[in-house]
Amino acid sequence: MRSTPKINDTTSNFLLIVNLHPAFLCERSREMVTSSVVNTYPLSSYSFGTKEPKMEKDTSVADRLARMKLNYMKEGMRTSVEAILLVQEHNHPHILLLQIGNTFCKLPGGRLKPGENEVEGLKRKLSSKLAANSPNMQPNWQIGECVAVWWRPNFETIMYPYCPPHISKPKECKKLYVVHLSEREYFAVPKNLKLLAVPLFELYDNVQRYGPVISTIPQQLSRFQFNMIPA
Amino acid sequence: MEIFNGRLNNCDRHGNSDGDDRGNLVIDIYPLSSYYFSSKPAVASKDETVADRTQRLKSNYDAHGMRNCVEAVILVELFKHPHLLLLQSKNCIYKLPGGRLRPGESDVDGLKRKLSSKLSADEDCYLSQWEVGECIGTWWKSDFETLPHPYLPASGKNPKECTKIYLVKLPSSKDFIVPQNLKLLAVPLCQLHENRKTYGSIIAGIPQLLSLFSINIVDT
Repeated sequence: MRSTPKINDTTSNFLLIVNLHPAFLCERSREMVTSSVVNTYPLSSYSFGTKEPKMEKDTSVADRLARMKLNYMKEGMRTSVEAILLVQEHNHPHILLLQIGNTFCKLPGGRLKPGENEVEGLKRKLSSKLAANSPNMQPNWQIGECVAVWWRPNFETIMYPYCPPHISKPKECKKLYVVHLSEREYFAVPKNLKLLAVPLFELYDNVQRYGPVISTIPQQLSRFQFNMIPA
Repeated sequence: MEIFNGRLNNCDRHGNSDGDDRGNLVIDIYPLSSYYFSSKPAVASKDETVADRTQRLKSNYDAHGMRNCVEAVILVELFKHPHLLLLQSKNCIYKLPGGRLRPGESDVDGLKRKLSSKLSADEDCYLSQWEVGECIGTWWKSDFETLPHPYLPASGKNPKECTKIYLVKLPSSKDFIVPQNLKLLAVPLCQLHENRKTYGSIIAGIPQLLSLFSINIVDT
């Protein structure tokens, strides 16, 4: 078991205390009113099963963009919400990603219905992708802060972390939320998908493999202090 | 934008929607033209070799532990797009205003001290001059000359340096007084985005750290 880094020493006395004010956990953050703590539990404290496949609605990027255009004509700008689910392994935060086929990874989430509340919509998407179908086995989804917003100016794959100047009608707004997991949960993953726990150091700077949205999550999470709860 | 069931459908251009109830998500920015810029005598800089610098950092680490730095993200408006204030030194390196904390100094006090040193008349009253907001990112270095990463070293090694990036909110007008050996630039977010080659990982990543905020351009 690796020893925890010096910077986290002050947290070791507080691991068992629930609802401790985040300001006391780190000397340096005492004056930071908005410093948030994210509790991460070991991957081993979660259990995983399978459920019926959930196929992608589109078979190609071109199809996906065409369907996006149709929806835009009917409903206006698409709002999508995605979840950053965190666990820890070897004292390093890992994000849960869904892998489609051999390489393509995405965050759990998806498009909101017109007028749907973001938090409710994200819970709906999370249950659809990761929860067992029976109503009494639903995980307790705790939706936390929004950590990133990406904008799609045209019906193309490129997105930006700001609405580019001179774009008055963006086609999509995608919001990433941290989701706080309880210590134990049961996830049911559709048979055609794989659920991976990927360490932050693997995502960082790895645009080739994960794309600009997922590969920049480590920076966006660096505003938080991770409380890595041991097995 | 349609009204659906009495509530706004989807988000407006700024990303505000039903899910957001954190008032502090809005950053008001003012035109570059509402600020004044003048200069003051240069601050003596440490002219040392890379080896000397590493040695100096090592001695400081042995004496005081991890090096803590704080840096400020300060925004203005130009051409209807947010611009970040950057300092450029003679050797063309771009930096955020900020610097190293003294032992025992708090983040906020240290940042205000550094901002006054780099961007206004240094003496007295620095505590009341600046409005320091939330920390939007943290970077750690596992060694003195390695690149920073936005997470603690995965090896479990103790980091040698920690840099915290803070949002600093400007009033509608201000006098900036910059040391003569530094240039103060306003760079658009769209130029910083993914441009690590010119600006380094920390500065090029700032548009992504700001994306969750609603940047409100105040019309004066």
